[in-house]
Amino acid sequence: MSSSSRSGAGVPSSRSGGLPAALREFAGAHVSFLIFAVIAALACASVPNFAQADNFAVVVRQSAIPIIACIGMTMVLMTGGIDLSLGYIVGLSSIVSGILAKNLLLPAPLVLAVVLGLGALIGLANGAIIQFGKVPAFITTLGSGYILYGVAQIVSQGSIVNRLPAAFLAIGRTSLLGLPSSVFIALLVAGIFQVLIGSAAFGRRLRAFGFGPKAAGLSGVPVARINVSVYCLCGALAALAGLLLTIRVNAAQPNMGGGTFTFEAVTAAIVGGTSLFGGVGSVVGSIFGVLTIKIIENCINLLGVSYHLYLAVQGVIILAAIVLGNLAHRRG
Amino acid sequence: MSEALVSMRGIGKYIYGESGKALRNSEVKILDGVDFELRSGEVNVLVGENGAGKSTLMKVLGGVIPPDEGEILMDGHPVSFRDPREARAAGVAFIHQELNLCPNLDVAHNIFLGREPKRRGMKDASLMYARSAELIRSLSCDIDPREMVSRLSTAQQQVIEIAKAISFSSRVMIMDEPTASLTKREIDMLFGLIKRMRSEGMGIVYISHRFEEFLEIGDRVTVLRDGRGVGQLPMSEFDEAKVIKMMAGRSIDSLYPKTHGGAAESVLEVRGLRLTPRTPPIDIDVRAGEVVGLGGLVGSGRTELAKSVFGARRMAGGELRYLGRRLDRWNPRRAIAAGMAYLSEDRKAEGLVLGMNIRENVSLAALGDFLRFGLIAPRAERSKVEGLVGELSVVARSIEQPVATLSGGNQQRCVLAKWLATAPKLLILDEPTRGIDVGAKAQIHGLIDRIAAAGVAVLMISSELPELIGMSDRIYVMREGGVVAELAAGPDLTQERVVQYICVGCE
Repeated sequence: MSSSSRSGAGVPSSRSGGLPAALREFAGAHVSFLIFAVIAALACASVPNFAQADNFAVVVRQSAIPIIACIGMTMVLMTGGIDLSLGYIVGLSSIVSGILAKNLLLPAPLVLAVVLGLGALIGLANGAIIQFGKVPAFITTLGSGYILYGVAQIVSQGSIVNRLPAAFLAIGRTSLLGLPSSVFIALLVAGIFQVLIGSAAFGRRLRAFGFGPKAAGLSGVPVARINVSVYCLCGALAALAGLLLTIRVNAAQPNMGGGTFTFEAVTAAIVGGTSLFGGVGSVVGSIFGVLTIKIIENCINLLGVSYHLYLAVQGVIILAAIVLGNLAHRRG
Repeated sequence: MSEALVSMRGIGKYIYGESGKALRNSEVKILDGVDFELRSGEVNVLVGENGAGKSTLMKVLGGVIPPDEGEILMDGHPVSFRDPREARAAGVAFIHQELNLCPNLDVAHNIFLGREPKRRGMKDASLMYARSAELIRSLSCDIDPREMVSRLSTAQQQVIEIAKAISFSSRVMIMDEPTASLTKREIDMLFGLIKRMRSEGMGIVYISHRFEEFLEIGDRVTVLRDGRGVGQLPMSEFDEAKVIKMMAGRSIDSLYPKTHGGAAESVLEVRGLRLTPRTPPIDIDVRAGEVVGLGGLVGSGRTELAKSVFGARRMAGGELRYLGRRLDRWNPRRAIAAGMAYLSEDRKAEGLVLGMNIRENVSLAALGDFLRFGLIAPRAERSKVEGLVGELSVVARSIEQPVATLSGGNQQRCVLAKWLATAPKLLILDEPTRGIDVGAKAQIHGLIDRIAAAGVAVLMISSELPELIGMSDRIYVMREGGVVAELAAGPDLTQERVVQYICVGCE
């Protein structure tokens, strides 16, 4: 200890930058809100009929169900995985809920419980294959998604179930403050998961696992449990989305959801600031993400442009996010 | 026989900072003015402790990394290699310890990878197989050129690497610990090949830690220490004690604090633990209040032993007793709950979650302590983390700073803080001062001493002999997956003795 002369080698370059730095920090933490604000402002300024109270209500109503699914997808993406079966869980739970409610005349709460359980079970299978079978999430959920699609077609026998019982429809159609109850269900789900991801140990461990599975495991994070439960929760939320969609259109059909719905959930999560490389994501960000892309969809509708442009825009967003993310990774 | 085939003069290599820029003003260099000479028709054995710079020096020669200072001459002409391809074209072949073959291709395709013989633009497979068969025969070996590489033994794969090197008409062959995973018979065969290549005028650089091999195969020994050349001597002057002295004469640059000692009750008893079914059983004990050192080369099984104790790795046999209780179905989660902590040698992948900040990293292993109704109590977390960060004098703007932006020494303090937050009874440290500057090192040594003095059992892996000897009350030396010696601290525990056990074993 006599003369441990500290060499001036490792002096870190100071990073203080006054106001711009503070601005950058704010922007970094609220990217999803800023994107939302810019897109909304642009839409108000340039799209006729957009800035009207009942159009805003349309956007909110159309966002409610995707928000539920997007929260599930966000958690999965936070582990560094992906759930491509999400849209097909929606389709299967749609036809199953229709059959249970109309053909078997089960009471509405029981239908809800069975469908949620079904979604959770499917997610559990996905998660178990990914965690214990060491199969990449992309492959696992691509495969299971197609299995579910096939099963849904078989169960439905090629027909749709419509004119569903009123008691069942009431789950998502009861009007409160001028909005359907599905909007409030989405808010409730968002609240629960905001606490779970933002304040509970689960969220902290989920982020640690997403950023560095090795370090997390060696710090006592129950890695397997977290990885499986994320797919399980995502499956249950997808099933809830499927049930609410069925109620909204008053028809249970196996083609509901599907690849486009999955894709929408992924896009919204990315716009909401979720990283495809794991670790980063939030409920609030995902809500803004869904609102943003639903505004884009709404504008495309109002302008009378082909709906397919909406799909193309989503593709551009995802590719741009991946390319930018890769560049950032390389620099880091 | 006497002219220099390769001579490297004044080779220097800086350490690199986080930004990827060379730290030219740092006191520490990986290589500092190293001279190295290789004649044709000789086997030059390169020896030195872990981190002495052997591999770096050979990577410079093999074109893997460029030197920051100095020059390389081949046949008296200066050369510079921008990548391994250029080095290979100039006749320098590098056979790495982990062989670089494609397991999914057959032997001939591996030998001629990327330069398959062609006829009218198409691959000429029959010529390629014929030439491969000829090459392998010239090495007096019998391997079918159509065999998949994945089905060959390690020794056979090495033969393929050598055949590949010869097919490039290489004149310099660098072999990095080629015998590490070979049996006695395979080693004899390899030595036969090396002797043949030598008699044909090739120059061979042979990196190894096994003294018994030098005598058999080497013509000269070159010793490196702390990135400097200590000397070259012909095998006729080889003397085990002398070479050990050259390797081990690392300067002790600080005094090691030792207020701990006086071991109390046993905390960890390892009985008959086998790392793999083939390695010998290991018995070690660690008692409360003592620092037990674990010495040996990289790859001797030290980290594997530590991870087996911590439950992060499955062991092949034996049992662990911890605080008098036999451990069963063990994993890191349970280990932490029972009061074990493991500071990994790989700080960036296994020690820290680099995407998170100081607070989240430090509280991660003890997160359960901060929960109220399943939710993290922010105030309890912050005050605990701030206390530890202050105690370990982590230099940071705030505990919200991302750990990725901290210096190595401060990152290591954060990992230590994380484990101290769990109030461990057994602290396993794997290379606790690797890659951190001298001042931070001394401070971490002081901390380890204080932790042990407070009654914690410490098991410390270190490749730095002064640290190992200075900090430990007892040292276990590992070699090839087993413990070969238990040495007690004292005036007669010298670096030379430890090196002897590390390199020669107990016989």
